[in-house]
Amino acid sequence: MKWPRLLLLAVVAALAAWGWWALYPSPERQIRGQLADAARAASFAAGDGYLAKLAGAGRLAEFFSTNADIQIGDPGRPEHRLAGREEIQQAALAARAPGQTLSVTFPDITVIVNADQQSAVADLTLQARFTGEHETDLIVQEMKFTLRKINGQWLIVKVETVRTLS
Amino acid sequence: MIGKCGLGLAGGAHGRPGAEGTVPPTGGPGPQGRSGSRLRILAIGRNPKRTLLRAALLGVLCVVVFKWVLLPVRVEGISMEPTYADHSFNFVNRVSYLAHEPRRGDVVGIRLTPAGGWSAPHVMYLKRIIGLPGEAVSFVDGRVLLNGQPFNEPYEKGPCDWNAEAVTLGPGEYFVVGDNRSMPKEQHTFGKAERSRIVGKALL
Repeated sequence: MKWPRLLLLAVVAALAAWGWWALYPSPERQIRGQLADAARAASFAAGDGYLAKLAGAGRLAEFFSTNADIQIGDPGRPEHRLAGREEIQQAALAARAPGQTLSVTFPDITVIVNADQQSAVADLTLQARFTGEHETDLIVQEMKFTLRKINGQWLIVKVETVRTLS
Repeated sequence: MIGKCGLGLAGGAHGRPGAEGTVPPTGGPGPQGRSGSRLRILAIGRNPKRTLLRAALLGVLCVVVFKWVLLPVRVEGISMEPTYADHSFNFVNRVSYLAHEPRRGDVVGIRLTPAGGWSAPHVMYLKRIIGLPGEAVSFVDGRVLLNGQPFNEPYEKGPCDWNAEAVTLGPGEYFVVGDNRSMPKEQHTFGKAERSRIVGKALL
């Protein structure tokens, strides 16, 4: 007689734990989710129309703070620097050329949330697969993202490339 | 209990054949029934419980081996040619350096993000170790110099014209580079790798 009651209790406890986990994610899990969404927003398909591209670029820019700073320096390629949300949006729109596809993922992410719980650093691997009309390119790069909690949302304030093999 | 279960299955195969209409009405299991039973035994064994247990153990073993011991990897890019062709398949053995430290000439997987416990990275560089801790590595007209002495590399086949200043390795640092030195140096990722980033040795 007691077993069904115990089982029910265990199920209720598990549901409550899952509910707590889903409703109150830790800062680390919030950041991971935010970065995964940012990677999706950075990706685009060849068939996207102009409005879809514009919306995609705008969506990507929303993951950054208004004064965000991006420094991308890859060996063999010129260094790019973008300052502010506007520039990021424009660059994202310019990158969405017709007939090109970009798939961005962050397969390995390590998040360190600072003691103040308001800022964090994420070390991650960027994997970007670019497909043009005649060529395909795979970029793999270690990156460091600095995030800050602004108005309750984790926003990217700085992006730097890291030379894994220095 | 196990034997019972096995008999039960056999009984199920032979005891109710009429309902399925697969056995001739002459009585006893016909050739079709026997072959069906054999197939069933071949597929799930004489003892389904034991088979299930074996399958579960095999599944767990596969997960443990291929997630924490032998990481399956697909090589992308040409920096390790001709040793490893683009899109070739390999494994990175994570336990290879439990007994000893990495050696010169080893092809190793190097993680991009800093090590986070025993979790396996999804993306790695695949490079060859040419310099060990404490050594100075440089390139002069395509030849590798270790502490100023030429280093013979039998795996390097193509022409190379690289020049690079000497890099002195600190404790726990290894110099890694791909085998394809025919490609421009600027497009080739190479240099110092910390020991903590070396995931394991390429198996094949």
